[in-house]
Amino acid sequence: MSAETGSATGVASEGRTYIDQFPGEARLVRTAFWSSFVALGIGGLMGLVQVLHRADVLRVIDSTDYYAVLTLHGVLLALTFTIFFLVGIFTWAITTSLDRGLEDLRFTWAWYGLMAGGTALAAIPILGGLTDAVEMSASVLFTFYAPLQAHPLFYLGLALFVVGTWLAGLDWIRSYLAWRRENPDERIPLPTFMVLTTLGFWYLSSLGVALAVVVFLLPWSLGIWEQVNPLLTRTMFWYFGHPVVYFWLMPVYMMWYLMLPKVSGGKLFSDPLARVVFVLFLVLSTPTGIHHQYLDPGIAEGFKFIAMTNTMFLLLPSLLTAFTVVASMEHGARQRGGTGTFGWLRALPWRDPVFTGMALAGVMFAAAGFSGMVNAGMNINYLVHNTFWIVGHFHLTVGTAVALTFMAVTYWFLPQVSGKRLWNRSVALAQVVLWFVGMVLMSNAMHRGGLDSVPRRTAEPQYRGFEIEPTLGTMAELDAQIVLGGTILFVSLVLFLVVVVMTGLGDRVDDLPANEYAETLSGPEDAPLVLDNLKLWVGIAVVLVVLAYALPLAAIVDRGGLFGPGGSPFPVFVGCLEPTVSASVAFLGDHLPAAVSGWW
Amino acid sequence: MRISPAGLLVVLAFAVPALVQARTVLAFAGVHVSPLQTVLIGLLVLTAVVLWAVAPGSGTEAPSEPNGG
Ligand code: HEM
Ligand SMILES: [Cu+2]
Repeated sequence: MSAETGSATGVASEGRTYIDQFPGEARLVRTAFWSSFVALGIGGLMGLVQVLHRADVLRVIDSTDYYAVLTLHGVLLALTFTIFFLVGIFTWAITTSLDRGLEDLRFTWAWYGLMAGGTALAAIPILGGLTDAVEMSASVLFTFYAPLQAHPLFYLGLALFVVGTWLAGLDWIRSYLAWRRENPDERIPLPTFMVLTTLGFWYLSSLGVALAVVVFLLPWSLGIWEQVNPLLTRTMFWYFGHPVVYFWLMPVYMMWYLMLPKVSGGKLFSDPLARVVFVLFLVLSTPTGIHHQYLDPGIAEGFKFIAMTNTMFLLLPSLLTAFTVVASMEHGARQRGGTGTFGWLRALPWRDPVFTGMALAGVMFAAAGFSGMVNAGMNINYLVHNTFWIVGHFHLTVGTAVALTFMAVTYWFLPQVSGKRLWNRSVALAQVVLWFVGMVLMSNAMHRGGLDSVPRRTAEPQYRGFEIEPTLGTMAELDAQIVLGGTILFVSLVLFLVVVVMTGLGDRVDDLPANEYAETLSGPEDAPLVLDNLKLWVGIAVVLVVLAYALPLAAIVDRGGLFGPGGSPFPVFVGCLEPTVSASVAFLGDHLPAAVSGWW
Repeated sequence: MRISPAGLLVVLAFAVPALVQARTVLAFAGVHVSPLQTVLIGLLVLTAVVLWAVAPGSGTEAPSEPNGG
């Protein structure tokens, strides 16, 4: 590493790689990474299938199987790929920054096993949907909206996967508490702080989806409940569905704060600012989910307005991040001899795929911020809701800001956790640049198509007797641009897998750079102590969630019943409980909406 | 070379969104550029960038050739 990068604050890796420091943990991180790469490979292939199918260039599947493919794509990429990579990074962050191994690796492998087992269980019925040979299917897309129903294995797998992440969180918290006992007066190291704040909103929000699955959807798929209230389960999904976006993004932000300054040859501009950002995400991530439901009938406009306001507040930590990260990069570039107002850009290490990949991902994320503001506005959302615009938007966020950052940092992490040299830096550089170019093409055409009302989640957007007339160019041209972009993305993905496999096949070497992350220009001693008061922030987050969700949920249950209108709300065997429960539901139903209408 | 090969690659990559989005923005202003024209203009721009990059340096050599990480 370049001379400017000293050892990380308070961390004594003593020039050693991660695998030398923590061989057992390195094995876990490696396994988690490989799990995520497998998901990325299969999911990406499905992406290519979708692009070609929609444009009617090549249809390898029946249109009736399209949802099975799209479910595989959404679940494997949005949940499996991202979260397996996250648990790898977070394990690295905790162990490296606390400079101690996990407390009990058997427990660690147990949560990994739960996550992997859960994924496998969920994958069986999804794959079953692709063939007539088995009865099972789970073509419900990654949002699993009722009344679409999946085989029970899908819901079971999902629940196990989420429980696995909860145990992973406990594992990291356990490490932290053990460290705290030995270091009662030290500030929480920044990477650990990032993990803990992220866990705060993860527990809070994933509880919602776990309840939706375990209380409603799984029993419903088993035939125990006759029906469910679709608006209720949807709302519970999005209660989790927005924070999960930040669950993917927090490891990315962590990499932008910790690794980007380091590979640029400089230091993190401000540790306190980074802490503020993570606290804001902890507090604001969850009470925003209703912004995915602006078009859902049955939720009062006032509640949607609250969600919109909270969402707009979330722009703040993202802007703070943009500022801190660019400032840190500029510092690095000037350390490397860069000069001038923009001239310093030339002094950045563009040859390094780790740097270039992260920088390109950041640029795309800025673009995504703009289309995201359109999505977040209650009124203009009506223009783009459920169109291809949305798909264009989130391929910039999760599909690039997250995926490309993960791929880029893999080129640093893989040597660290395997002790092997990166196979080919030039191929890796070409890979990250190709992803950027492919996504520019695909996402631009998706956004434009969406504005002209091209729908998403449709196998054949070519309707008989109806032509979509694009504002600019023709549909054929938009399709061509998407196919070109999608193909370039797929090529990039294959290159990525080639690099990681070839790296994995290499031999152990002992001259790899040490396991370090960026030092800071302004350290934790400048951060007010209250920032580290996690109980306070979790408490505030809970209060905001109650404010944002109690009334809408009560109104939904009041209007549609816990189990949907007209359905027998309770199965026979809990019939004896019914009077009490329905009395309390009725009580809430009578009083809360009255309170609501009094306010709005 | 005026810039490093990696720098050139990144500049070329950035030219793609600039071209694609310029066409979209021009359409808002009522100026319609066809895909073929975009491709041709794009190739011209990219070639010009490459020629500029490989032309003998004029003293504006990148300060320190990044050694990567
Ligand atoms: C090879 C690269 C990729 C291609 C060609 C691709 C293509 C597509 C297309 C065409 C759709 C829309 C299908 C439709 O609405 O009918 C889609 C949906 C989606 N993609 Fe991708 N994608 C790629 C990579 C990714 C990555 C890396 C992620 C996330 C990490 C991702 C996440 C998603 C999600 C969450 C959906 C929504 C699924 C749904 O509507 O249920 N994609 N993708
Ligand atoms: Cu959201």
